[in-house]
Amino acid sequence: MAFIAPLLLLGTLAVAVPIVIHLFGRRRAKTVKFAAIDFLFQSDRKTARSMQIKEKALLIVRALACLAIPLALAKPYTSCERSGPHVARGAQAAVFVIDDSFAAGVISDGKTWLVRATAQARAILTQLGPEAEVAIIRASQNSDTPTELTRDHLRLGDQLLAMEPSARPADTRRALEAAGLLLTASGHSQKTVFLFSLMAKSGFSAGPAAWGPQGPALTVIDVPVANRNNLAITKLVVEPDPASGARGIAITAEVLNASATPVKDTELALRLGSDVVARGRLDLAPFERKAKRFLAVLPKGSHGADIQVALPNDVLPIDDVRSARAVLRDDVRVLIVNGDARTTRRDDEIFYLETALRPGDRIDSGTTLRTITPDEISADALSEADVVVLANVPALPTARVTALTAWVQAGGGLFVTVGEHTDAAAYNRQMRELLPQSLGEIVDTMWGATPDERAARALHMEKFAVDHPAFAALSKNATELRDAQFSQIFLLAPDANDSARTVLARFTNGAAALVEAQVGVGRIALFTSTIDRDWNDLAIHPGYLPMMQQLIRHLARRQAPVDESEHLVGSTVTLPVAGMSKLEVRGPGNLATMFDGDRIAGRTSLRFGKTDQPGQYRVRTFDAANTSNTREDLGFAVNLNPLGSDLTPAPPTVLPASGTGGGTDKASTKQRIELWHAVAAVILLLLLAEGVLLQRA
Amino acid sequence: MQLDAASLARLGTMAVRARVLVQGALSGLHRASHRGSSVEFAEHKQYSPGDEIRHIDWKSYAKQGKYFVKQFDQESQLTVYLVLDASGSMNFAGGGASKLEYAATALASLAYLVSQQQDRIGLLIFGGSETVIPASGRVQLRDVMDALETANSSGGRGQNSASAALQRIAELNRRRRALVILASDLFDASGDAVPALQKLRAAGHDVSVLQTMAPDELTFPYDGMTLFESLETDHRLLANPAAIRAEYLRKMQAFLDNTKEQLQRAGLDYHLVETNKPVETTLRDLLIARNALMRGRSVGVRG
Repeated sequence: MAFIAPLLLLGTLAVAVPIVIHLFGRRRAKTVKFAAIDFLFQSDRKTARSMQIKEKALLIVRALACLAIPLALAKPYTSCERSGPHVARGAQAAVFVIDDSFAAGVISDGKTWLVRATAQARAILTQLGPEAEVAIIRASQNSDTPTELTRDHLRLGDQLLAMEPSARPADTRRALEAAGLLLTASGHSQKTVFLFSLMAKSGFSAGPAAWGPQGPALTVIDVPVANRNNLAITKLVVEPDPASGARGIAITAEVLNASATPVKDTELALRLGSDVVARGRLDLAPFERKAKRFLAVLPKGSHGADIQVALPNDVLPIDDVRSARAVLRDDVRVLIVNGDARTTRRDDEIFYLETALRPGDRIDSGTTLRTITPDEISADALSEADVVVLANVPALPTARVTALTAWVQAGGGLFVTVGEHTDAAAYNRQMRELLPQSLGEIVDTMWGATPDERAARALHMEKFAVDHPAFAALSKNATELRDAQFSQIFLLAPDANDSARTVLARFTNGAAALVEAQVGVGRIALFTSTIDRDWNDLAIHPGYLPMMQQLIRHLARRQAPVDESEHLVGSTVTLPVAGMSKLEVRGPGNLATMFDGDRIAGRTSLRFGKTDQPGQYRVRTFDAANTSNTREDLGFAVNLNPLGSDLTPAPPTVLPASGTGGGTDKASTKQRIELWHAVAAVILLLLLAEGVLLQRA
Repeated sequence: MQLDAASLARLGTMAVRARVLVQGALSGLHRASHRGSSVEFAEHKQYSPGDEIRHIDWKSYAKQGKYFVKQFDQESQLTVYLVLDASGSMNFAGGGASKLEYAATALASLAYLVSQQQDRIGLLIFGGSETVIPASGRVQLRDVMDALETANSSGGRGQNSASAALQRIAELNRRRRALVILASDLFDASGDAVPALQKLRAAGHDVSVLQTMAPDELTFPYDGMTLFESLETDHRLLANPAAIRAEYLRKMQAFLDNTKEQLQRAGLDYHLVETNKPVETTLRDLLIARNALMRGRSVGVRG
């Protein structure tokens, strides 16, 4: 043991003070020669003995306190062989880069990795000493970065104690860059970055950060992880499963074995709401991704269900669960304006369309059809429709066009099909706002053809926008549509503003077959042939039904219950707010966010970005009368970014080369251990003991 | 006239003090308590074998035809043994004169009184182991006074038990009954002083006990941290008197009560004497009590 200020040890002579006081006090006690002393001994044998003991104990306690005070002031210390990283004490700048990604929740020895890492960080913070300026940078993706270094070590210690794994993957490269920048602004000559990282590959995906040889010294703190064998559910897709009925869904869970150890017979559980409805088992080779498909039927009477697939908990429990939201579609209300009604149903213009939208006229088809004549188009009729189909309708008068245009701009969907009643000139003149593009001439490929030539001269659909929802239910090349023969089609006239519309399919002659455009917040689509068999035989081909159903749902903005794109933690979710006075989003942990007033007034949608926790988010809306409505169709699930589940360690080369840090302190194998804290604690205990003894004396 | 301890101390030798006390306050109070053969007739007693034939009242025999023996008040042939406790504990002087000085003065006064009546005086000092064989006369009185003076001036020593001294008295007076007056605090470590007194009484001796206590021993008035040192041994005790006062007083009272009860049950004349009381008051109380006791015994015989 050695002392920083050994001269102060002279103060130990003060030990004589209590001894002198004791002896003096003893002498000052009156002495009485007493005859009946035996009675005193009888009366107080115990008291007298304990008093003597207490008196001696007091003397010892006071003497020890007088010894300990100068001992503490002399700042004793001892040295031992250094086992951890080299930490120089004194004035310097240091940044702790700590991986607080969700992977930091990996459990080892009964504790999370982050708990052990922050414990080491606090120890290093103490070793740096009060003169060091320090900052803490979290290495999780998109986390806030401090703007300055601080000497407030108490606050930093509290930050470290309170640190918990976030739900985001690591972005260690960004954190190291930020640390380098922060240290650049420091005036200290010695600059060090202490990196506490799982060193998972995914945290360095964008390559190593570079700060040059004059940059800070990099000290990587080794916080070992005993077991990195992690299984994770990395993707969850919910699709409709017509074979299981209108409420049937198929759930596909992708599982990753992010380890070099094969996994046998691991169990996956599918949960609908709070009930486990299915279980499955998987074998996974090292680093293999494998999908498991479940089929389920949503419960009757509910519009949606929370879906969760879970693995048994492993070293990283947070990514053993993934959530999704399945929403039962509402019926799409389709208003069909029949421009060529016939008494024979099979000859009717809309016979095939009606059959496609309500196959077998089943109540669970998802569509409600209403058929009217062009003269019956009214604001009332439109207000009860999601999609209007103008099927081979003569050009409408201006008043109805105006009503239709306003209705589309407010969000309605319009599907225009042509036929023999379509007068291109009248359409272009009166209904131009309702067309994606002006109509041109009719092409009749059968004119003058002999029956043998008909097949050869027929047009076919090709060049599909295969990613468009209208074709989502079809195979990749839409072979279900390619065989359909078209004898007559309308050509479209060139427009100045071609960019406003999208051609979804073309004929073999290059002419547009299906065109879509956005009008206001509504959509319009134009099919340049008939929807019955007058100009083509598309209606008897297998692709007709799914194309029409998907197109109508697309126009109505009601897709099948597919969780189109997973929302990851930290992403923003767009929510419609038209006509609402308030909207509340309640996330996991029952944390609610309310949008009202200026944040919602006059807007059609808002972006919700507080998706910091994985799980289910529920949406409630309030109308002008403040009546709340739980919108199951707007609820959504937020999941972890699967990148972070791979704990495979990255090679050391991903780290930036350590700079000199400006330090001249040579690494020492000895570590100084300050003892004055312990001595001070002993002093406190001695004072406490003295108080107790005095109170009992 | 009453003299306190300080006034007594100024009176000089023990002989002077005794004379002043007796002549000033106690004259006429002493009477012999033992029946003897003297000129002053006291009562008749029916003859029983062993009585001296020369004391038979022949006149009564002639009148009644029964043998009666005459009994007389004995005035001069009384043997008085004064026993002084000169152990170390008697040196204590809390709240008055030292217990030894007080006791010696009281016994000297009694010696003077007894000597005035031509009785035989003996002295036994335990602690100092001084013994004066009973006799009467001026020379004897002077010897007793000198012995008491010496014991007082040299102070108490050791922790000798009273039992040995009392046993010796019993041996010396096996045939002749005596009046034994013991002045002691009875702080007897061996605890056999009281049984020895009871035996002495059982042997027919008349015993008076002056249990001499200092006021501070009875009230324990000490305050603040105090180091108590034994007067007889090397025992020391550092204590807070306030903490132990109640228990000490309870034990002391129990000791006094127990001693008094045992002695009185055995027929001894017991007096608790505090050294802050005038000596003559103590002696007067003693003599009055003895006279009362003597009368009581006489009435008891007549009845």
